[in-house]
Order: sequence, then C-alpha cells, then structure tokens
Amino acid sequence: MIRLEKINKTYFGAQPLHVLKGIDLEVAEGEMVSIMGASGSGKSTLLNILGILDNYDTGEYYLNGKLVKNLSENEAADMRNRTIGFIFQSFNLIPFKTAMENVALPLYYQNVGRKKRNELALEYLERFGLKEWADHYPNELSGGQKQRVSMARALVTQPKVILADEPTGALDSKTSAEVMQILREVNQSGITMIIVTHEKGIALRTNKIIHLKDGVIENIEINNPDLIDFSKEIK
Amino acid sequence: MDFWREIFMALSRNKLRTFLTGFAISWGIFILIVLLAAGNGIMNGIGDEFSDQRTNVYMIYSGETSIPFKGHGINRSIMFNDKDIRFLETEVRNVDQVSPRIYINGFATLGDKSSSVFVSGVRPVFKGINHVELLEGRFVNEMDEKNSEKFIVIDETLRDKLFGKDTSPLGQFIIINSMAFNVVGVCEAQGRSDGGEGYVPFSTLKKITRQSRYWMLNFTVKGLETKEDNEAFTESLRTQLAGLHEFDPDDTSAVYIRSRQEEYLQTMKILHTLELFIWIIGFAMLISGIVGVSNIMRITVKERTNEIGIRKALGAKSRSILASIVTESLIITTIFGYIGMWLGMIAAEVGGNILAKVQEGKEISLNIVPSIDIRIVLMATALLIVCGVLAGFFPARNAVKIKPIEAMNYR
Repeated sequence: MIRLEKINKTYFGAQPLHVLKGIDLEVAEGEMVSIMGASGSGKSTLLNILGILDNYDTGEYYLNGKLVKNLSENEAADMRNRTIGFIFQSFNLIPFKTAMENVALPLYYQNVGRKKRNELALEYLERFGLKEWADHYPNELSGGQKQRVSMARALVTQPKVILADEPTGALDSKTSAEVMQILREVNQSGITMIIVTHEKGIALRTNKIIHLKDGVIENIEINNPDLIDFSKEIK
Repeated sequence: MDFWREIFMALSRNKLRTFLTGFAISWGIFILIVLLAAGNGIMNGIGDEFSDQRTNVYMIYSGETSIPFKGHGINRSIMFNDKDIRFLETEVRNVDQVSPRIYINGFATLGDKSSSVFVSGVRPVFKGINHVELLEGRFVNEMDEKNSEKFIVIDETLRDKLFGKDTSPLGQFIIINSMAFNVVGVCEAQGRSDGGEGYVPFSTLKKITRQSRYWMLNFTVKGLETKEDNEAFTESLRTQLAGLHEFDPDDTSAVYIRSRQEEYLQTMKILHTLELFIWIIGFAMLISGIVGVSNIMRITVKERTNEIGIRKALGAKSRSILASIVTESLIITTIFGYIGMWLGMIAAEVGGNILAKVQEGKEISLNIVPSIDIRIVLMATALLIVCGVLAGFFPARNAVKIKPIEAMNYR
C-alpha cells in the first residue's frame, strides 16, 4: 500500500535542517503500524509526506501503487481526498460547523450532493454512537466525542489509508483506550492504519512499531497486541 | 449552492466586522456618487446656460496696439465705426448679422418715481446674441432702427421700480435724461445693473450721444462648425481688420476677438478638469474603503488559517479556497457598494430638489440640479467589482500558499 524509497527531506532555513535521511519503508495493505520517536526525530515530517501534505526532496513514494511525486496541487488534493483519511491530535474540527457538517466536509470536496453527504455523515456518526450529537457544534462535545467525530470524518470517504497523528494525545487514558479500540476495529475492516505517537502504550496496540531517530529508521519492532494485557494502566 | 452557503456562513459569523468593513465601502461610493452628481449638476447647469444662448456669436472689443506699424507708434487705441459694421456685413465671409453696442448710464423717471438705468443702443439681432428673454411686448425692430424711434424695452427691475409689479408699462412713456421713451417691451433682468436696464434702437442712441466710435461689436456667424473653422475665421478677421485700421496683423492686443464657442469650449475644458478632480477625490475615498476591506480580509484569512489548513488536508483545492475568499470580498464590496450608491443617489436627488427650491425666484438661476446617469452607475459597478476582487485576491493568495500542516498548527 505504501512504499518509501530513500526519502530525503531538508528544511532550508537559516540553518538547513536535514530531517529525513533516506527513509526506506513498506506498509502492506491492511497493516496497522505505529511510528515512534522523540520530538525532532522526523516523525511528523514523515507523516506529512505520507499524507501528501508536504513534498520531499529526493527518493520515491508510492501510494496505492501510484508514484507521488511532483503532483500539482490539485492532483495532491484529489489524492488526499480519495485515498487518505486524517486523524489529528487536536481533532481539527471546524468550530462553526456541526458534527454532521464536519463529517460531510470531505464529501463536499468530492462534489457529493448535500443530501447524500448528510446521509452518509449521519451513517458514520451512528457507527461511532454519535447520532444524537449530529447537530451539536464541536465545543459542545467532549474530547472523546470530538475524536470520534474526526474519525467519522476520516472514514466517510472510504479511504485506503488512515494517518493518525497522536490521536490520543489530547485524551485521558480511558478515552484513549476506547479510541484505540475503534481504530483497531477500523483496521480490521481492511483499512491500512499508520499512527504516529510517542506513547509506548499506544504503539503496543499496533502490529509493527517503527522507531525513528534523527531522521533514520532505527529499528522495526514486530508486535502482537493480542498477547498484551491492556487491562493494566497503559500510560 | 453549497458554495454560497459556505460564503454566507463565513460572512454572518462576524456580523459587526462585516458591517464595518462594508460601511467603509458604502461611504466611499456614497461620497463618490454625491461628488459626481454635484459635478454633473454644475456641468449641466453651465451647459444649459450656453445652450440657450447661441454659440455662433462673436464679440470684438477695441484694444491698444502693442507693435509699431507703418509709422504708427504703440498704445494707439483701435475703435470701431460704421465702416467696420458695413465691412463686417458685406465683406467678411460667414458673418451673418451685426449689432454694435453703445450705452449710457441714465436716470429714468415716471411721475414721482425714479431709478438709475443702464441704457444700451442695439440692433434687433442683439436680442438673440445676448439672450434677451421678453416677458411682454416686443424687442426693438428694424423699423425702429431705421426711423430712430424713441422706443425702449425695459427689464423687470426697472418696471418694478417705476410701475410696480402688476402694472403693464406697455405704451407708457418714461423720461430718461429728459427725453421721453415709449415702452414697447419688458424683458427678464440679467442682473447687470441694480437700477434696471433698457434697450433702445442703436440709431436712436447714436443720435442722442453723437457717438461714432464704438468699442464693441457683436455679430453672429454661420457655417463655422468646428474649433478649427473658428480659429481660421478669427485669424482671417484679425488680418482684415488690421488692413482696415493699419495695425500689425500679429498684434493680438489691437482688437480682441472672442467667440462664444471658444468661451464654451474653454469653460467645458475647465469643467472637465473639475470632473476629473472629482473622480480623483471620489476614487481616493473609495481606495481607503478598499484598503479597509483588504485589511479585514487579511485578518479574516489569518483567523481562518487553521480552518483553511483543515480544508486543504481534507482535499480542498487551492482554487476553491481562493474563489471563496475572493467571492466573500466581492460580496462585501458590491452589496455595500450598491447600498452606498443608492444612498448617494437619494442624497443627490434630495439635495437637487432642495437646491431647485432655493434657486426658484432668484434672479441668477444657474440650474445646478445634481444628477447621475446610468454610465456612472455602470462605471462604479465595474469599479466595485474590480476592487472587490483585488481586495480579496491578495489575502487569499497568501492563504492558499501556506502548507496545510503549517496552517493547522497555526495559533
């Protein structure tokens, strides 16, 4: 599903910063992987490149069999919209739109009609147990509810890949566990899942843990969440 | 449809700000329209003034030579005489009718009433040349001129003083400088003299005053359509007069030749400069409004950086974001611009009515009624659209340039 070959990325500022130094990575369809690393390790940059939110300098990135390189802004936007679903630490819901409108937004950019959009959005909200909250604005929702809305939004376009950036970073441990449970279920429905985190407890719930340090992959740890007892404190 | 919903939502989220922004634009357009309307009013008023006078009128005045010529020194004053009149009538092409003008300041009495009076001796053609409007009776005619009749046309000022407003003076005799004149007509006052004005036949006044040299001749022309025609005519007339009065044809101070058309064109030139000036002022006002809108759009975009980042991450294309911001700005400028335009037009209309009322009954009635024509409305519309797009475009361009991830992390 995802194949990275010798990806390099340098930020040219006052002091050029070589953030990614030849990343090679392969994520198969339906895998659930996590990317771990200290701040400054390049994990956010890597996620941005994977999400086509940022471009890279050299190397090659194949997403769903297509080379993602030198895309025009419109092509990138289209590919993002149709292939990738995003989940963010700060939820990134639009404050003046209701839960339903937020979920429906990606479909707006696919030119889906309003009625169809709202139907689909409601369907996804229902899946996350939020149907009664459809007409509420984000500031009327709890953190866990917000994250579930943003998950519904990520899934409504039926993407191939979900990219989650610290999805539990703003949540308490109980809610975190719930969110991770949902993500696992989503993954089990066949959607590839990549989670960036710095929390070991979160990473342990994925099948593959990629450790990033100073812009290179230090090691890849194979993990079986089913063998771990999560009833204990995970944070 | 969705596009417009999004825009409406964005605008209604901060109503006060939208209103204040719009107000700047409304105000700019309002001032522009009012200024233009006033300018138009002045233009129309003065244009009218010219149009009911005849533009095919020439005046020549006597002057003094400034170049020595054929043994004559300088500062010799050139006056006109009957020979000049005949010459103009018979020898100069394009000249139609000629009226010299001589005048006296006199004292008119009727019974125990009296008034000072400014009496001009003119030919019948003078009526048209000087735009004399008759209220009753007639103007002096060719027969009067031929027979040197002691007939007089008085203006309303003199009539009011001697006869009172409601009495017809026709057929009555008034005494001017101990000579009796029969009143044959009453005309509108032109406000040149406080005491009043009267017109008598040229030949009559000539006999009375024994003048044979005149300092001013008026005549009408025909067949001179363009500015070039008029310039050529003026040049050739000067040369011919130079031959008659022995002065250097290049001496422009010996006689002064003025045409009404020339005056008209000159006045129009001044008025067009005035109009340009008005546009510049109005435009400057408008620009401050536009800068306001642009600034507000910049702030709006800044505030919405986060949202723009989210939208981009969810697959919004730069074009759609650009379009929505530019449209927002366009809506503010056009809606509020039109409000300002309507208010400006109403103000111009009301102001025009008030001015018209004030001017009623006044002696000098320059018809300054502000007005606005459809071309200006269209022009202002185009201006608003251009401004709206420009005011929105630059902030929008900056907004879409920012990377989604940076935009989302922006606080």
